[in-house]
Amino acid sequence: METQLLVFDTREEAVAALRELERDGVDASAITVMSSEPLHLEHDGSTAGAAGASRAKSRISGYGIAGGVIGATLAILLTVLTSKSVGIITGGMPIVSPWAFGIIVFEMCALGAILVTLGRMIYESGLLTRTTAESYDDAVSDGKIVVAVCLAEEGLGD
Amino acid sequence: MSESRLTDSKINSDLLAPVNKPGRGWYATVTVSALVVAAALGALVYQFSNGLGVWGINRPVFWALDITNFVFWIGISHAGTLISAILRVTGAEWRRPVTRCAEAITVFALMIGALFPIIHLGKPQLFYWMVPYPSERGLWPNFRSPLMWDFFAINTYLLGSIIYLYLPLIPDLALLRDKSSGLFRRLYGALSLGWRGTQLQWDRLERAVRVMAVIIIPVAVSVHTIVSWDFAMTIRPMWHSTMFGPYFVAGAIFSGIAALILAMAVIRRVFRLEAYLRPVHFNNLGLLLLTMSLIWFYFTFSEYLTSWYGNAPEEMSVFRSKISGPYASMFWASVICCFVIPAPILAIKRLRTIKGCMIASALVVIGMWLERFLIIVPTLVQPRLTFNWGAYRPTWVEITLTAGTFGYFVLLYALFTRLFPIIAVWEYKEGLPLGEHGEPTVVDLTDAELERA
Repeated sequence: METQLLVFDTREEAVAALRELERDGVDASAITVMSSEPLHLEHDGSTAGAAGASRAKSRISGYGIAGGVIGATLAILLTVLTSKSVGIITGGMPIVSPWAFGIIVFEMCALGAILVTLGRMIYESGLLTRTTAESYDDAVSDGKIVVAVCLAEEGLGD
Repeated sequence: MSESRLTDSKINSDLLAPVNKPGRGWYATVTVSALVVAAALGALVYQFSNGLGVWGINRPVFWALDITNFVFWIGISHAGTLISAILRVTGAEWRRPVTRCAEAITVFALMIGALFPIIHLGKPQLFYWMVPYPSERGLWPNFRSPLMWDFFAINTYLLGSIIYLYLPLIPDLALLRDKSSGLFRRLYGALSLGWRGTQLQWDRLERAVRVMAVIIIPVAVSVHTIVSWDFAMTIRPMWHSTMFGPYFVAGAIFSGIAALILAMAVIRRVFRLEAYLRPVHFNNLGLLLLTMSLIWFYFTFSEYLTSWYGNAPEEMSVFRSKISGPYASMFWASVICCFVIPAPILAIKRLRTIKGCMIASALVVIGMWLERFLIIVPTLVQPRLTFNWGAYRPTWVEITLTAGTFGYFVLLYALFTRLFPIIAVWEYKEGLPLGEHGEPTVVDLTDAELERA
């Protein structure tokens, strides 16, 4: 397997090249489009270009909700268990105050959602992996659109 | 209408110029603000060596300028993340050059605001005792205390705001990585997490930013509501009010927008970003500021009218001290700065220029600081029992520390602009109306056309 980087000046050129690759039967999963801004190629009807975005369904929102639930649960455990463990003498009055604790639960719910959303975004977008010369071209930063095609060596000649 | 047409390379060079060649204005700003910070550090060292007695606080005023600064800076923090999140959620296209200026304000203002409860501890090195966990030191973490709520709210907001600032910064960090060399290349490389700009990465980034924007709005509202409850949950005269939450939130957004306008005006001037921070942005923010000025006036009027109409003796003593007593000059100055002058400037289209917005914003920032002081000190000076009444006069230490907060804010902000693009490069490019590089762009449109877009 070898990766070839194709550099285009404009979006039209890149879309035309993607259509050509599609016609040649290159699998969408073998194509990665890189740019200095979101291109939203799905609007051009290019399945190869859009493939990068839609290859896997995003679960960021779902994970964000799950993070909120985890944060809220931890907050309940922190406030209730901590208050009960101190053993303060209250003369039979309740030590757990749901209304007051609810504020802390709300904040930690939000914190959990934020942290898990960040983690999931990093995971889904494949960040924290090393950028190699084969998989990236600095021309992206100059506004060029770079199409990386990963093919078996015999296919590259075509 | 600008003659120049923006290409990718021009946008890159314009928006990265503050990072690459900051200019004399930047060095002058850093030098002056660093001197102010140095003076404040001197005052802080003096305070730590001599104790809190060097402040003007005494019974019954145990909190004065420090909590004024705390509330003020937490309020200023509402400039950024909240406004940016609202603009993102509502899809306001004109937000693009504004969001990062705003988000950075939030982070630095929160950092400064959160310092004051620690400075006020007397033994600030023991601040970690406030962290609530099942206690091995026999301390009882009182989760019913509004100060404990503050701890959670501010830390959540600070962490959330840093992440909310960082996420849209990742593509620009990759841009800086590609454009720099040596140590900076390694630094930006590490911070950009291996960003390549694939469509999958863009898709996930935009999703995550949208989710964050939705989460951060209620957090921002909760933060200043909780700060207001530090006061409203007591039964002190003119504090124990059900409307303190929204009153504080409105005031926070008000002062936040003013700070944002000031920051944008300075950035525009110092870094020659006239083509990007345009009159239309100041016009729109000026209208927001006008709205908040009217809301602030409405809340203030409602709050004071209710106290006056109730005529409770302990409330009236505080009320009179503000309206016609020792604090009257500050009170009326606050009304003039927050409403009487800014409202007409911002309401009359001919006056709502960049300069007009700057003048109005500067007055609002001053007025809102006075307002925070007036909420706190007169009530503390005159508690319910008259035998316990006192007086308060700040010392040079408190005044220097207060000036230091402004210097520190400017210094942090200036350093941020030196390290990171203060306008989101990719967001700006994405917002070019025709989406074609080299074609007519935002800069080529008149303000009226941009507003329509």
